[in-house]
Amino acid sequence: MSREAEMVAAPRPALRWRAALALALAAVFGLVAMSWPLLAAPGGALTETTSGPWLFVLLLPLVTASVLIQLADGGLDARAVAMLGVMSAVVAAVRPFGAGAAGVETVFFLIILAGRVFGAGFGFILGCTGLFASALLTGGVGPWMPYQMLAAAFVGLGAGLLPRTGASRGGRAGELALLAGYGAVSSLVYGLLLNLSYWPFALTQGNLAYVPGGSVEENLPRLVTYTLATSLGWDVGRAVTTVVLVLATGPLLLRVLRRAARRANWV
Amino acid sequence: MSPDASQRTAPEATRTVPLRAPGRRVHPVAWWGWALLLATVAGRTANPWLLLLIVAVAGLVVTWCRGPEPWSDAYRVFLFIGLSAVAVRMAFYIVFGGSDGPTVLVTLPSATLPEWAAGFRVGGAVTAEGALAAAYDGLRLATLLVCVGAANALASPRRLLRSVPAALYEVSVAVVVALSVAPQLVESVGRVRRARALRGNTGRTPANLMRTVVAPVLHDALDRSLSLAAAMASRGYGRAAGVPAPARRATGAALLFGLLGLCAGAYALLGTTTPAPLAWALLAAGAAAAVFGIAFASRRVPHTRYRPDRFKAVDWAVIASGAAAVAGTVLSGVFEPAALWPATNPLRVPELPLWAAAGVVLAAAPALLAPSAPSSKPPKGTP
Repeated sequence: MSREAEMVAAPRPALRWRAALALALAAVFGLVAMSWPLLAAPGGALTETTSGPWLFVLLLPLVTASVLIQLADGGLDARAVAMLGVMSAVVAAVRPFGAGAAGVETVFFLIILAGRVFGAGFGFILGCTGLFASALLTGGVGPWMPYQMLAAAFVGLGAGLLPRTGASRGGRAGELALLAGYGAVSSLVYGLLLNLSYWPFALTQGNLAYVPGGSVEENLPRLVTYTLATSLGWDVGRAVTTVVLVLATGPLLLRVLRRAARRANWV
Repeated sequence: MSPDASQRTAPEATRTVPLRAPGRRVHPVAWWGWALLLATVAGRTANPWLLLLIVAVAGLVVTWCRGPEPWSDAYRVFLFIGLSAVAVRMAFYIVFGGSDGPTVLVTLPSATLPEWAAGFRVGGAVTAEGALAAAYDGLRLATLLVCVGAANALASPRRLLRSVPAALYEVSVAVVVALSVAPQLVESVGRVRRARALRGNTGRTPANLMRTVVAPVLHDALDRSLSLAAAMASRGYGRAAGVPAPARRATGAALLFGLLGLCAGAYALLGTTTPAPLAWALLAAGAAAAVFGIAFASRRVPHTRYRPDRFKAVDWAVIASGAAAVAGTVLSGVFEPAALWPATNPLRVPELPLWAAAGVVLAAAPALLAPSAPSSKPPKGTP
């Protein structure tokens, strides 16, 4: 059991160096696309126009497509495609459970657990396809979708890159604690980044609005207050539900997913 | 497809097929283009009359052109989301303040936040000018949301998926699998729960539900995915395509250079050291390289398409009608910029920018170009 579990944890589909480089570049671009209101220097080219948010909304799908092509370079095999499809369906099916209540996020624990078992590349693609499928099923396609897809993809990627733990009883408990901690941190960062991406759209005047061309010292307190006023409750709720769901369903789901990975011969 | 679903769609099909030639429906990419062009207009103005006109035009086109599919109701949902955006914007103005004016409506108790939290006042005087400016601002965001809702209601997501570049073949197959497996999961949950009830297990504790419902459903879904993979592999789906190595290397290089160019361009846009034209050129070059890489990779994929979904004259006309709205707004920006961004201080009734209004009215053309079912009224009376 112990050797098997360790072998199953081998990343699949594997990350080649070109894919790794593409992922790193996409991470840089995604960070800029979300946090440009804080990074843009006063007097720079971006602060002089009002097209900043739209520019990144249009470019993000291009970046995501480029990375996905690099990841699937040479072809994902049929088992990976079928497993991705089924896991995306599970993500799309559980996502509406969280939509009704404030801050209840029922997607992250699945992406984190699947990324842990099937590897970083799988986690990245699952973050994209899962949110895309759920948006198609619920009619929720909009300018926010590229941001959500990329951010969820990096949540899955990070879960696949977490260090290995032993297969002993203590190792399994440590793995759960590791995943729960990662879930809490990634939920909070995800909430902050998405908030940041929506901020310039949501308010254009008043004390909390983004000041185009303002310095970081001017914009950061406004952002902090905006976050406190609007979304901190949601972000904390997302972190708490993710931790609770990882701890409650982790032992069972990790076992089920590892069994599937073993049966698919991904060793 | 489950039997009840086919029964539900069968009468629809017999009703619409003789009236609507196959393929008459507008391409989903054309709908998205039209809606995004309308959203661009909404982003370039704060004139309430023009914004309400855009909402009305989008609503008219949705009611005339939408099909009988489940997502056709998205417009109404997004209308409510837009209304709540206006409400949130007003609440923000009342609590955190905004632009001020001389006409004080009501004065709220106020407090000053500490220095680390921006150090500004909460509460205080609510003025008519500020409230009006906040309402215009909220209406602008609501109109953007309504345009997105119109695209969601009009564009068929399944057909949209067919327009995904061929290089993303495996990923789009995975999404197609997801879209068809999701209903099966619901059915699977029902089956497992029925079997559980027949065994006399009606416990409702979370641990019991996890063990006796969630675990079997997941095992079932994952096992099904393995048999699906076997079926797909035996039919040649998702297999490693025989793309020659030089072509793969060229694709990879184009995509990486594209990403590099996009990152460099974004970095140059953020700073002040690079002149703006150079920064925009870097970004454009990066985007062009990435588009070239995707197109090149798509052409090398040796998969054929079943019934390719091409752009027709109607689709171009729909996009052109959206472009007319943008053109009208640009003309208004040149000839009557004050009407596009009406002042709220002093208070007065804003004028309607004529060029932009004419363009937005032209954007209602799809209602006449591609009406969905002109005879949807007669069957309504018949049982």
